[in-house]
Amino acid sequence: MVSAEDIKPAQELIQVFQRARKNLRIYPVNNPVYSKTIEDAFARADDFLEEHGDLELKFRQNEIMIGDKTIYSADREDNFAFFFFRDGVRELSFRRGLTLDEMKGFLQAISFDFERQSEDDDIVTMLWEGDFEHIKYVVDGSFLLEDEVYENQATARAKTEPASEVDLKRIYDDVLMEEAAARQTQVIQVTKADLLALQKEMERDQQDKLPRLIEILFELFRGSSAQEYGGIVNLINEAFEYCARNGNLRMALGILEAAKNPPGGAEDEGLMKEELKRVFEFACSPGIVGMLGERLDSGEILDADAFDEYVRHLDKKAVPSFITILGELKTMEARKQVINALVFLGEKDIHALAKGLSDDRWYVVRNIIYIFRRIGDKRALEFLSRAAHHQDVRVRMEVLKTLGELEGHGMMSVLKEALDDPETSIRLTAVRALGRIKSNSSKRIIMDRISSKPFLDFEFNEKKECFEALANWNDPGTEEFLLKALRSTSFFKRARMDEFRACAAYSLGLVRCRSALEPLEKLKGAKNGLLREYAYKAIKRIEYGQ
Amino acid sequence: MDSSQGKGRISRDIVNQLSVIVRTAQIHDPRNVAVASAVEKFVSGVNGLMLEEGPIEIEIVGEYFYLNGERVKFTTEHLLNFDSLLREFKRRRLGSVKFVCETKPEEVQAFLGAFVSSQYAAEPFEDLRANTERLKCISVGALRRISEGAEDIRKAVKHTYFNAVSFTRGVMNRIKTGERISMKKAKRVVETMVDTLLEKEEFLLGMTVIKDYDEYTFHHSVNVSILSVALGQRLGMDKIKLMELGLVSLFHDIGKTVIPNEVLNKPGAFDEEDWKLMARHPLSGVKIIFNMKNFDSSSIRAAITAYEHHIHPDGSGYPAARKLSELDLFSRIVAIADQYDAMTSSRVYARVPMSPDSALALMVKRSATQLDPLLLKFFINLVGTYPVGTLVMLDTRELGIVTGANTSEHLRPRVTIITDADGNRISPMVADLAEKDGSGSYPRSIAKAVDHNRYGINLAEYFL
Repeated sequence: MVSAEDIKPAQELIQVFQRARKNLRIYPVNNPVYSKTIEDAFARADDFLEEHGDLELKFRQNEIMIGDKTIYSADREDNFAFFFFRDGVRELSFRRGLTLDEMKGFLQAISFDFERQSEDDDIVTMLWEGDFEHIKYVVDGSFLLEDEVYENQATARAKTEPASEVDLKRIYDDVLMEEAAARQTQVIQVTKADLLALQKEMERDQQDKLPRLIEILFELFRGSSAQEYGGIVNLINEAFEYCARNGNLRMALGILEAAKNPPGGAEDEGLMKEELKRVFEFACSPGIVGMLGERLDSGEILDADAFDEYVRHLDKKAVPSFITILGELKTMEARKQVINALVFLGEKDIHALAKGLSDDRWYVVRNIIYIFRRIGDKRALEFLSRAAHHQDVRVRMEVLKTLGELEGHGMMSVLKEALDDPETSIRLTAVRALGRIKSNSSKRIIMDRISSKPFLDFEFNEKKECFEALANWNDPGTEEFLLKALRSTSFFKRARMDEFRACAAYSLGLVRCRSALEPLEKLKGAKNGLLREYAYKAIKRIEYGQ
Repeated sequence: MDSSQGKGRISRDIVNQLSVIVRTAQIHDPRNVAVASAVEKFVSGVNGLMLEEGPIEIEIVGEYFYLNGERVKFTTEHLLNFDSLLREFKRRRLGSVKFVCETKPEEVQAFLGAFVSSQYAAEPFEDLRANTERLKCISVGALRRISEGAEDIRKAVKHTYFNAVSFTRGVMNRIKTGERISMKKAKRVVETMVDTLLEKEEFLLGMTVIKDYDEYTFHHSVNVSILSVALGQRLGMDKIKLMELGLVSLFHDIGKTVIPNEVLNKPGAFDEEDWKLMARHPLSGVKIIFNMKNFDSSSIRAAITAYEHHIHPDGSGYPAARKLSELDLFSRIVAIADQYDAMTSSRVYARVPMSPDSALALMVKRSATQLDPLLLKFFINLVGTYPVGTLVMLDTRELGIVTGANTSEHLRPRVTIITDADGNRISPMVADLAEKDGSGSYPRSIAKAVDHNRYGINLAEYFL
């Protein structure tokens, strides 16, 4: 028992518990502060018990006491003493031998937010479930009493027919007259085989119960009247939500599959199908998709195949929900899966997908454009012009890439405009896109660019990119243009001109232009090293395909 | 000894090992190598714990082992060893073994020798005590009679029982009026029941014989919960699982709340429509459970049990299922507890209840099709050949009521004697039929089981 001079250390220990409670509520389990808090609290409690013996706390509404000494008091209603008191805890004792695991369990119990995390539990249930060997509690269960007089009334009712009024003698005589021997249900000893069977039973019992419940819910649906369908579908949806919350995608899939195939031959088959559509609508809802997003983001292993399969059960209504989570996901892996989902779903409703282009977050817009590109549907082009002027360069770049891949013939003005973008990367991407489109007008744009006066002053890479893009057109006109470029001369800016010619040589190599061999041979002796090198490489490519 | 293991596990291992060495010693000489290595393991466990705890006493209270006053919990894998050791202790009227100082293997071997040879003695415990008196560190104690504080325990248990009934009544009434149910409270009620069962099983099981015709549904729900948890305990379920089972079984009939009172309390026989309504209660139960509780593992389990508890393993029963699925373990446990309590209760559609032993006999007949045979076997082992509440005539011509089972000797339960050998009423007196007299024979044995319902004996008189 703690004596009067031990009050202070006990008070300090209460403070340790309070601080620990606060920390455990703030920090996630994997945070080092979380485990350190537990270890520190354990060390303090262990020291206390070692030095002072068992700690026995008594609880009043606003006070914690040791014996008749108050060691904690507070006025606020939500005080530490009241936390225990309100659920009926009146005494709590910590005994020598307390383990770190027990302290962890105790601190986790007191830091549990019962209102938010589980309405079904209270501190007593948590302590009870903890089943601690060195932490004991005494509970006043009077508030559990439903009806204070029930026990007395029930007892009186049960005894209304007292045995004293029964003629035991008559029973005795009757029984003596009966010939029958004692009736026995033979108790059979439990054998090893029984125990083995029982162990298997217990192992089986660990299996997920959800599949059976879902079977039951659909049985219930089938066995119900039309008026009850709505209620049962609500239950099915609740089960669905439970699956999503727990990341049980296989089970969610099971529900969708069962909902897809209602029993044939029923009188109101049509109505059944109609009602069950709500399951699919629910599966597409922001709430459910949001839960899936959380699971994807949590880093826990999620069955990727099941996720894909799940998405295949959804329809275009799910697009807005997936766009929403696309902006919220934190991990690359999760975004990747959601993008894959949107590639599938967006195809069903390009317009719904395009709404994502109005999102405030640049990365959402970029991803939507990327999804358009993956879908490869030219209908997407009409939405891209707006995004082409997006303030974020990464978005603009994605638009240009997409225009290139989707061969956006009607978007030449966008690409042409992009060639004047102050960002080199944008200009380069635009050139590449023009090359991919391979139309006469895109060729014209590139040729005009190469022929423009400022082109000579462009950085070598940009020049090279333009010539490389032009190599996509393997036609006489292009060859002629390139040969002309190769032969270009200039008195001024000779080095720039040599770069220009080197790029032309490179491009001629790419188109394997044999008529370029002669001028290229001559350039093998050029003074400019770059020009020499590119001429040499072009010859090798034309001659030997290297 | 690794203290992180936890005393609970160490205690369990010690009792388990004691069972092992007892069994091995019954086959081999206690000095045999097989016995010796098992003994060494046992000694190391005992001495290790003694370093922390001081003297160690392994004791039987009711049907369970306690080590230094704390109940030793076991799981399914230890069930057979615990059960066999319990029988061996009880056979010898041995109540406790105490280790007071660091024990040597030779001393444990000497104890085993005395233990094995005592089974053939006319007075096994006295024989065992005499042969172990010379041991320095090991002493034995006789099986304790029903404790003197039984009245206080009975009062506390009665309080727990009626509180649960009253709570169930409140829940069912609130469901009828559409009010919200506090699952927090439900859990607390069940936790108390589980604790009571773990510590005072016999007393709480005794309360299930109290039947209240007017409040049948509420009593029945609680009785089924108690019987289910008791069976779960025999199956080696842990505390958390027992709580889940208790909660699930308490709500197994929750679907009946939507059946109109006129049908539930109909004085005459049920017509087809009434039965149709009754047969829908498992379906209603599922809906009600999810209305009163969010989807989580326990509500899922409760819904499954509410739905399945009238479906038989062979697929018969109701509601009719389109395909035969394996019934959940909880559903099969609840089905047994449900049938037993229903058969032994007076209900509107079966006014005259069956006697407990007749009910059990009928259940055995049904076990192939309607009930799980394995679980029923454990259930019969739990309630015994003469379940609590059975009226019996003894071979002494005394009449008595079974008030407590005796696991090791099913035919020798504890009986409250209510008449003398001439049929005259006497003040109730408890007799343990497993106890032998000075000459080593049983002074009382059961001659006949009698249907108390035929005579209107109110069992409440003896249990409240």
